[in-house]
Amino acid sequence: MVKVLHYLNQFFAGIGGEDKAGQEVLFMPRAVGAGAMIQEALKAHGVEYATVVCGDNYFHEQEDKALQAIRAAVDQFEPDFFLAGPAFNAGRYGLACAKLCSWVRENRRIPVITAMHEDNPGTKEIGRHVFVVQTGASAAAMQECLRLFSLVIERLLAKDESAIEDFRLEYCLPIARRFTARSDAPDYVRAVDLLLAKLDGQSFESEIPYIEAQQHPIPNLSGALKNATLALVTEGGLVPKGNPDRLESSRGSRYFKYPIEGRADLRRGDYEAMHTGYDTSTVNQDPDRIVPLDAMRVLEKAERFKKLHDYYFVTTGTGAMPSKMEEIGAGIAEELATSGINAVILTAT
Amino acid sequence: MVLITCLSNVAAQVGIGRIMGGSKFHYPVGQPELPPEEELRWRVGLLDKGLSALETPVQESTIF
Repeated sequence: MVKVLHYLNQFFAGIGGEDKAGQEVLFMPRAVGAGAMIQEALKAHGVEYATVVCGDNYFHEQEDKALQAIRAAVDQFEPDFFLAGPAFNAGRYGLACAKLCSWVRENRRIPVITAMHEDNPGTKEIGRHVFVVQTGASAAAMQECLRLFSLVIERLLAKDESAIEDFRLEYCLPIARRFTARSDAPDYVRAVDLLLAKLDGQSFESEIPYIEAQQHPIPNLSGALKNATLALVTEGGLVPKGNPDRLESSRGSRYFKYPIEGRADLRRGDYEAMHTGYDTSTVNQDPDRIVPLDAMRVLEKAERFKKLHDYYFVTTGTGAMPSKMEEIGAGIAEELATSGINAVILTAT
Repeated sequence: MVLITCLSNVAAQVGIGRIMGGSKFHYPVGQPELPPEEELRWRVGLLDKGLSALETPVQESTIF
């Protein structure tokens, strides 16, 4: 006997469209809508199917209440599998599916499966170990998606690890998550094999997916440099001694700005670098070696440019998620733009 | 923006516009073996070159 609990929004449960988006949480001890097809596909296993429904607006406007009711349904029904969606490119539905799957997986440790389009905002809320089947943008992809829901349940029931991994690779969204996987050889053997393949000019494939950098337009200075206000920015982790804001020394998630107004240079002992990616001792001996305030003061005095901004900006650029670094970069850029900064000197280790 | 780094090729790969080679990976704008006054003179020269890079219009990744 296999117990499947399936989450649907009001539309896919056949209750109604936007006019019914305020629908409260409803538990139904049977397959509803698309669930019937999955139930049929799994009938050889003697499936017990139930459905939990919630309106898209209700979920977001009364999230606490909705979650509470849905958790109660999970606790009452005790499913072996939790399904949600497919949400295709429906944003509210996708977010609800993502949040529910993440919660169920985290708290009940059963397999959870959802499905959505890669542009669905729900993809940003997916927790660990959630299967997210990649779908088209519209419900035209429904049949294929339901087939895949059944397929992954079959493979999970068979406990066929390699088939499950194949499913992940072939049908799931490549959401950056870490999973434990078995390999044929220990890492040092694989690393040497990769190196030898490279030296021999043979083809090889990195085990770490390459993240393509987003290309941004390159701005040019508008106006003369001698009328420009400049700012110093660094990823080198230089903070006031004692690290008052607790900047992380690795996997940085924040940035800070520190005042340099009236200072001719950054004095040894007043600053220290928080950064596990390089030997910070030389910088700690003279912090101008990473944030070159002394040289910029000389050039400011010589009127090469108009003014140096009264703060320098800092984050730690090691071991971090590129997406987080993009957020940090955008945050610094926005602050600089609103402070009337014309150009930036960025030092990186 | 001008980026001062010792990983110029990486910076060019990700599409940074103005790139300048720094001194060392762990102190891009330092020369600790020099006496302090000479080190400052060297740093001023490096940053002056950085300012010239800022004044130069570029369309693609350029290493100065």
